[in-house]
Amino acid sequence: MDDVGKQFKWVGTRPIRPDGVPKVTGRALYGADYHPAGMLYGRILRSPHAHARIRSIDTSKAAALTGVKAVITSADFPEQNFDYIGPERVAVNFWHQTRNIMAREKVLYEGHAVAAVAAISAKIAAEALALIVVDYEVLPHVIDVDAAMQPDAPLLFPDMITRGIEPAPTKPSNISKRLEFHIGDVDAGFAAAEVVVEQTFKTAAVHQAYIEPHASVARFDADGQCEIWCSSQGHFAMRALTAQILKMPIGDLRVHAAEIGGGFGGKTVTYLDPVAALLSRKAGAPVRLTMTREEVFKASGPTSGSSMKMKIGATKDGKIVAADGLFKFQAGAFPGSPVMNACLCAFAPYDIANARTVGYDVVSNRPKAAAYRAPGSPISAFAVESTLDLLAKKLGMDPLQLRLKNIARIGTPTIYGPKLGHAGFAETVQALIDHPGYKAPLGKNQGRGVASGYWFNGGGDSSATMQINADGTVLVATGSPDIGGSRASMAIMAAETLGVDYNQVRVIVADTASVGYTHVTGGSRVTFATGTAVVNASTNMTKEMCKRAAMIWDVDPEGVIWEDGYAKPAGTNVGNFTPLSLREIAAKASQTGGPLTTAASLNAGGQAPGFSTQFCDVEVDPETGKVTILRFVAAQDVGRAIHPGYVEGQIQGGVVQGIGWALNEEYIYDAKGRLDNAGFLDYRIPVASDLPMIEAVLVEVPNPVHPYGAKGVGEANIIPPMAAIANAIDNAIGRRLTELPMSPPKVLAALDAGPKTA
Amino acid sequence: MPEAPARVVFTSGFSRRYTGGVKEFAIQAKTLRGVITAMERLYPGLGETLLEETTVAINGELYEVGYSQPVPPGAEVFFIPKIEGG
Repeated sequence: MDDVGKQFKWVGTRPIRPDGVPKVTGRALYGADYHPAGMLYGRILRSPHAHARIRSIDTSKAAALTGVKAVITSADFPEQNFDYIGPERVAVNFWHQTRNIMAREKVLYEGHAVAAVAAISAKIAAEALALIVVDYEVLPHVIDVDAAMQPDAPLLFPDMITRGIEPAPTKPSNISKRLEFHIGDVDAGFAAAEVVVEQTFKTAAVHQAYIEPHASVARFDADGQCEIWCSSQGHFAMRALTAQILKMPIGDLRVHAAEIGGGFGGKTVTYLDPVAALLSRKAGAPVRLTMTREEVFKASGPTSGSSMKMKIGATKDGKIVAADGLFKFQAGAFPGSPVMNACLCAFAPYDIANARTVGYDVVSNRPKAAAYRAPGSPISAFAVESTLDLLAKKLGMDPLQLRLKNIARIGTPTIYGPKLGHAGFAETVQALIDHPGYKAPLGKNQGRGVASGYWFNGGGDSSATMQINADGTVLVATGSPDIGGSRASMAIMAAETLGVDYNQVRVIVADTASVGYTHVTGGSRVTFATGTAVVNASTNMTKEMCKRAAMIWDVDPEGVIWEDGYAKPAGTNVGNFTPLSLREIAAKASQTGGPLTTAASLNAGGQAPGFSTQFCDVEVDPETGKVTILRFVAAQDVGRAIHPGYVEGQIQGGVVQGIGWALNEEYIYDAKGRLDNAGFLDYRIPVASDLPMIEAVLVEVPNPVHPYGAKGVGEANIIPPMAAIANAIDNAIGRRLTELPMSPPKVLAALDAGPKTA
Repeated sequence: MPEAPARVVFTSGFSRRYTGGVKEFAIQAKTLRGVITAMERLYPGLGETLLEETTVAINGELYEVGYSQPVPPGAEVFFIPKIEGG
């Protein structure tokens, strides 16, 4: 679509979000706010051990406690086949998944669920938990990824044979899978290199740190029908997962999307819904389960920590000729880290003729990793973008110019096979080169760092329905939980397509029985995929409006066009009719064929990738090691910003989460494998007083595949900050930090011991 | 004169698992359905794997695998592992 210079009425404006007032006045209903009549309170008993065999569980005393209505263990869940179902990255092995939801033979991490109760009060439920007797045989545990890969490491699964190695290993290990991608001839590339830099890196596991804990309310009725109200990034996905875990028909399950207080990938998986449903079935009453903050940290998925090695070679003029990356990712207690994404995205922003990425997916006694914003890419980018900074220093090149020289453009072959199909990266680099702050002088102990990032963005299945009410107001229903203001962006696109006022359009998130299947709100896919469904439903509606107007005027439908919110005669030969508004047509809906409804479903493809380039200025306190962010500028190719305010919000949010990942956040374990910092007092996420204003620079290279040029904007922004900050610290104090988080003790240690990098 | 066939390409790992290490194929097809049918004919069972486990890039443009997706003459069709976001 060539719409360069086209003027839009609503696209690109910043109207108020429809969910704003309910949220700021406390009326919005989140997962834990639902309270159906007769509701029971559920609680989950969790393992105090990092690794232990379950010899027995005695629930008899808990079940006998007055007020307890149901007690369940893994014995109440159906067994699952040992199969990796679905695509590799999200291959769900339900044998693993059901064991993550409720431990069977062993507990594999502290916080692992072992039993659950439902009672008439939260107090009685807590008392019942204390009456459950679990006989554990404590086993040796392993936390660190490198330690877990050692031949003598304690094994989580005694029969796990590494996939992806041929011939297959004969001995089991904690390595679930090995992956390799390559392009060109890496050895020949390094032989031709005049400058080579090599560095190892480690990153800590970090939590998505959504403010709203997981919650689920289930009501399982006597006729076998079950309804669930939950906070998730995809109620259709929760329906599918729950149905499979409980082996019940999908059609017997109806899931309602509660408002969601953040997900960032961590709410694309289910922990509570099957447990609440099973408790409800057993108790014969609705049951609510809510995680405490401690449970969120201990029992829901953080993203992987990692151990990485990076080697990059270039000619003296700065052309990168070879790159080699090794990525070892913690999967947590069950296979399935985002290491494949890390391998695919690591070098994607660059035109490198010879490159290789090798990844390992490794289990250890931690909670199972879950998706976190551009899963995998921020981790590999920390290694790649830090190493590029070392290369720029060695070459004496400006780091943005180094990136520009090696930039991937349309037609550049990628390590995962196809040629890059979209532009947008060079434009983000150029935006920062042109930014006045990039050349601003720095003071003592201050430094500037840059980094870039690549993310695929998503498409996939989405649905939308549209109704026109008798007064001409418009109702749009989609199946996408609204995390980042999507109800506003859907209303904007509907209003733009229909040619009506934004305030005339009301958008809701419909339950699984009320709109077509829609994939999760993740992968930065909603504005692109669900947005296209909304535009298609709107376009279908304008065609329907023309048909209805033709009936009113008694002319052929081909003689009517839709323009600026009105049905108009296509030409003077059709007749001299006064244009009809949506409201006027809606008023005659019954006489012209009945209610005005349309629907659209699609499997959206052609999504463009997201590119982000950022620079930041930091100041390092040499006495304390504290790093203060002075300035942060984040340029991102957003295609076209449908609602620029919420696009900026996505960029600012991603950067802030990256700052926390860079400077403070980590899972800290004691010698027994127990998490020491399962709360926001000790797990330090950035707060407003830690931060400067994050300046978002919207680079608009429209995606021709989307009706309004939108690209996914939710993830690329979290990729560069860790490396940008490490590079800025190096620039400030001449010390290269290679382990996250770069907390004050590590900075002080680097100042005391580390050699200056230049 | 027949139109130029599509160049269908798999990753090394995928081709090792499913096509005996053969990475590239010239396939005459107007839609992805045609490509999948042709690959299924060559390697029985592969069609279902392509549908379930891969994302496809047609001339660099990423799509989930759907039957009706047009394949232009001479297009480069890459099947790659499915990507999932957060």
